[in-house]
Amino acid sequence: MSESIETVKETGMENIYECIYVDGTVRLCTKNLAKGFTVYGERTVNYNGVEYREWNAFRSKLAGAILKGLKENPVKKGSKVLYLGAASGTTPSHISDIVEDEGKVYGVEFSPRVVRELILVAQHRHNLFPILADARFPQSYSSLVEDAEVLYVDIAQPDQTDIAIYNARYFLKEGGHLLLAIKARSIDVTKDPTEVFKTEAEKLKNEGFDVQQVINLNPYDKDHAMVLARFK
Amino acid sequence: MRIYLAEHTIGSFAFDESGNLLDYVLNPKELGKVVDILINTEKGEPMPSTVELIQKLKPTEVVIESETESAKMQSLGIKVVSKPHHVGAKVLRSSLAEIAVKAKFAEDPKDIYSFLYQVTLEYTRRKLRKAAQKRDLLAIQAIRAIDDIDKTINLFSERLREWYSIHFPEADKLVEDHDQYAKIVSNIGYRDAVTVEALTEIGLNEQKAKKLADAAKKSIGADISDADINSIRDLANTILSLFRLRASLYDYLDSIMREVSPNVTELVGPTLGARLLSLAGSLEELSKMPASTIQVLGAEKALFRALKSGSRPPKHGIIFQYPAIHVSPRWQRGKIARALAAKLAIASRIDAYSGRFVGTQLVEQVNKRIEEIKTKYAQPPPKKQQPPREEGKKDRREHKKGKKGKRR
Repeated sequence: MSESIETVKETGMENIYECIYVDGTVRLCTKNLAKGFTVYGERTVNYNGVEYREWNAFRSKLAGAILKGLKENPVKKGSKVLYLGAASGTTPSHISDIVEDEGKVYGVEFSPRVVRELILVAQHRHNLFPILADARFPQSYSSLVEDAEVLYVDIAQPDQTDIAIYNARYFLKEGGHLLLAIKARSIDVTKDPTEVFKTEAEKLKNEGFDVQQVINLNPYDKDHAMVLARFK
Repeated sequence: MRIYLAEHTIGSFAFDESGNLLDYVLNPKELGKVVDILINTEKGEPMPSTVELIQKLKPTEVVIESETESAKMQSLGIKVVSKPHHVGAKVLRSSLAEIAVKAKFAEDPKDIYSFLYQVTLEYTRRKLRKAAQKRDLLAIQAIRAIDDIDKTINLFSERLREWYSIHFPEADKLVEDHDQYAKIVSNIGYRDAVTVEALTEIGLNEQKAKKLADAAKKSIGADISDADINSIRDLANTILSLFRLRASLYDYLDSIMREVSPNVTELVGPTLGARLLSLAGSLEELSKMPASTIQVLGAEKALFRALKSGSRPPKHGIIFQYPAIHVSPRWQRGKIARALAAKLAIASRIDAYSGRFVGTQLVEQVNKRIEEIKTKYAQPPPKKQQPPREEGKKDRREHKKGKKGKRR
């Protein structure tokens, strides 16, 4: 595939790149930390001796949020990230690319079925720690993790915001950031999605968060939003 | 003295109330042992390093993070208070690598993280193995396989009927059973060989066999060659072997369901029982569901439509397959479904957590209630006056009635 690549450009965000193909298409990508391994069948690109992995915005809500105008990405090189709802490791693998070996990604996931795949991803990434545990009970993994600069929450649960807040109290450093992917349909199907986003953001404000941005992820994910908030 | 105690993979650490490290005891730096310790803490067993630390410091009061351990710790004869994310835990977790190096658990941060990585992987693998050992997952896969086979049998049988009808079109209408039809094609084949004797041999009754043999003689179908009939036969044989596979899977499902979920199986049989497990995800998940959810499992589409539009909610989901529900008159079904769902909730909880067998009592109680419903509500309720409909607002149920959306 490397023939069809024109250039790889830096974006304004650390360790996130844009692959520009000859035919003019532009895709987000990250430097592959586990060279030669892909995670979900994504395309890889070699440019100037570096391997990049395409970052599909339809598969990863963080990529979707970036394309939809996320102002600041709290996930940087060297960040420690606590990731709730790591699933089979699609987004965690890209976060693992971004934070590189200096950073750590603690991926908590409750479903044994997908943890099986998460483990396979983690095997080639020594900065990704897969943890099979229930995010409702932070005590059950508190002796495996450390405090993080970023709490990333993507768990489709009706009380997901409360779970995020509860975990932030445990593990989020002062001034750290919360990235909360809200699935309106799993909070209340009967309500209008924008209304759900509003009430959830309000909840965060009342609990001492400074909500910086609410991004509607349409068309990448219907009825989803990404909230960026700072923990005071 | 009051200490703030924080446990981590690397060991137990005691802090004072302003977050200064008082003392610590390290865990052994061995993968297997540490994972054992971690798994035990989840069951409420304090780490051995914690016990050692407490005996060393002899505090009057200990503040810990996890409530689950407080009972066992109190048995050491000290006052225990549980307070999530207390100062000590915060200090430990925010400068973990630093503390680990200072405590000489590791030479440098790289060392500690690579150990932590190994521990996490092993810990998760071990928990995964435990989860995979749950036998209910096998039952779920078995029922899904049976459903897949049923679909395939239907698909193949439709094709077989179309194909064989070129030669013997009359058989399609006369033999409704797929199994029997495939047997005729496979064992007899040519229309000319269709005789009463041949048919009774594969299990048709005399009357039907006669009808069919008659039709064969007067058939309007085309003549075909050996090569043609052989290909059609191959397909029929595949269908027959799928029927055999289905039967053996059913036996397997029956035995495994009686093992993992005896009460649910007694109540609704292995097939429906396994379908409920399949929809819930696992026995444990099913046991955590309220009866009202069990009642409409499998009717999610109808349920959410009702929640959204305010139309009438479904009365039953997959439990519609329970004979007493679908053979009863319409107005009794909801009541029976409710009663059955309530007993299913009880049965699944006993199956998941105690394993006692109370199936026979539950069946008795359900049957009694069904009897009661049948006598009490023998007549259909009087038709309610329809409220005048708003202009332009169409009742969403109306045009969907034909599609059996909530049934499987």
